[in-house]
Amino acid sequence: MNPSPYNFTWPFSPPDNIVLVIAIILGKILVMVAAAMLHVAYCTWFERKIIGHMQVRIGPNRVGPFGLLQPIADGIKLFFKEDVIPRPGVGSTKFRIVFKVAPLLVLFATLSSLAVVPVFEAFYIANINIGLLYILALSAVSTYGIIMAGWASDSKYAFLGSLRSSAQLISYEVAMGLSLVGVMMLAGSLNFIDIVKAQQTSWHGMYLIPQFLGYFVFMVSALAETNRAPFDLPEAESELVAGYFVEYSGMRFALFFLGEYIAMIVMSCVAVLCFWGGWGLPPVLYKVVPALNDLPQSVKTFIEAVVFLCKVYSHLFLYYWIRATLPRYRYDQLMRIGWTVLIPLALVNIVITALVKYFF
Amino acid sequence: MTVRDIIKRAFLVEIIKGMALTLKMMFTKPVTIQYPEERRRVYEGFRGRHAFVRDAVSGKEKCIGCMKCANICPAQCITIAKEKIENKLVVVKYDIEALRCIYCGYCVEVCPVCALVLTEEYEYSSTDKAALYFDKEKLLKNWDEFAAKQQSETYFNKFWRPDGVDSAKMPKSKREQGPVPTRPVLKPAEPAPVAAMPKETAQP
Repeated sequence: MNPSPYNFTWPFSPPDNIVLVIAIILGKILVMVAAAMLHVAYCTWFERKIIGHMQVRIGPNRVGPFGLLQPIADGIKLFFKEDVIPRPGVGSTKFRIVFKVAPLLVLFATLSSLAVVPVFEAFYIANINIGLLYILALSAVSTYGIIMAGWASDSKYAFLGSLRSSAQLISYEVAMGLSLVGVMMLAGSLNFIDIVKAQQTSWHGMYLIPQFLGYFVFMVSALAETNRAPFDLPEAESELVAGYFVEYSGMRFALFFLGEYIAMIVMSCVAVLCFWGGWGLPPVLYKVVPALNDLPQSVKTFIEAVVFLCKVYSHLFLYYWIRATLPRYRYDQLMRIGWTVLIPLALVNIVITALVKYFF
Repeated sequence: MTVRDIIKRAFLVEIIKGMALTLKMMFTKPVTIQYPEERRRVYEGFRGRHAFVRDAVSGKEKCIGCMKCANICPAQCITIAKEKIENKLVVVKYDIEALRCIYCGYCVEVCPVCALVLTEEYEYSSTDKAALYFDKEKLLKNWDEFAAKQQSETYFNKFWRPDGVDSAKMPKSKREQGPVPTRPVLKPAEPAPVAAMPKETAQP
């Protein structure tokens, strides 16, 4: 037979119960997406409450007890709002299809990154070897959605917002990628489960301590990646009204909104998995409290999931805390921080990590 | 740049200070006043809905139609019409357009008989323009509503005796104006003709 580069052999024989396998995967996806949507809804509530109290206000408290039904009311409102699509100007070459696809692309990119996030050791949709790289790649894809939105909106505010956003994302992706290199070197893997397991070998069970520099760079670039305050220049309300999604309304706006919040959750998950030891408790805790080892597996798994979620929530809280504290950076300051502070710091971190790993 | 400044910048001292402040504020009590349930205290000198002081004895307004308020009003929202009835000058029309009023309180300050008052009432917004066009009866009704809410038996508006005006230059009636009763006063039964008064002054 003529050997051709396309002549793959199927790497594994399909399992006998293929229907069941697919059903399980679909079920997992359903659970993950539903959980993500619910998290987004209550992230907005949590954010408004936290920022409200930090500003000595109350925050939403009218719809339901403690305003708990506020996100649902917001969702219903957005769903029933009129969908306005701007008519392209005279002589414009812009396509409405681009306008319609842009929010879907953003949501698709961020939702897909959830596929490789393991909540605890046995719960993930896909356990791929390049999980970290996959998330970085998808966060770059959402940039396309933003540029498409800005271009197709046929509005100078939206366009400026999208240009700023793309420049920002490209600059900070470099710092973010470099900040994670230290983790990759220490763990020797890009697989999240391997990274978490590698962290369990030290007494504290997290890379935060050897990689504090990397963590700092990662968190700052995560803020910029997700267009959050103080780096929310693409949607600088005072200058650009709302930035790249200024022309969007109703459900299409909600898709951008969902994308932004899911991206925030994903970035928090990555921070937890790479720097905070994921679902693992510090191994030293098992030595101090030996009773933890004797717990049944189901209880252990439950504790793992709770620990993971608590760590993610504390990161989300950090996002809101920073948003409530810091004013927005100027555009040149943003670029200067990215290129002259974060990238050199990340490089220094890589060099130090490499030296330590080589000599010890 | 001193070493101290470099350390400050490198370790983000200012940002950490700011974040400590916001965290501290998170655990303080919100200052929000939840309006329909809670209300802000109305301070002395608040200028709200217009009213004519209803004379507790006669049950009528005290306005003498001197036109001072209409003349001083910067927004020119006061319209007065007078007529001579039975050889007596009677104010037949006194209108205040609340929509044009700027709530400066000059009319209250200038009134020689302290007939006018800007009450502490502030919840009288309306989608109907006519409801905010106060005529004489409406102004008196405003006073009744305001007086009924007063806790104390008497009321004195601080603009009846404006600050910085020499009281010697004020008309006698203004100079000697004391707190007005907020409840209708029953006149002591002395002569027979006045005895009918209380029935008339019984306010709604």
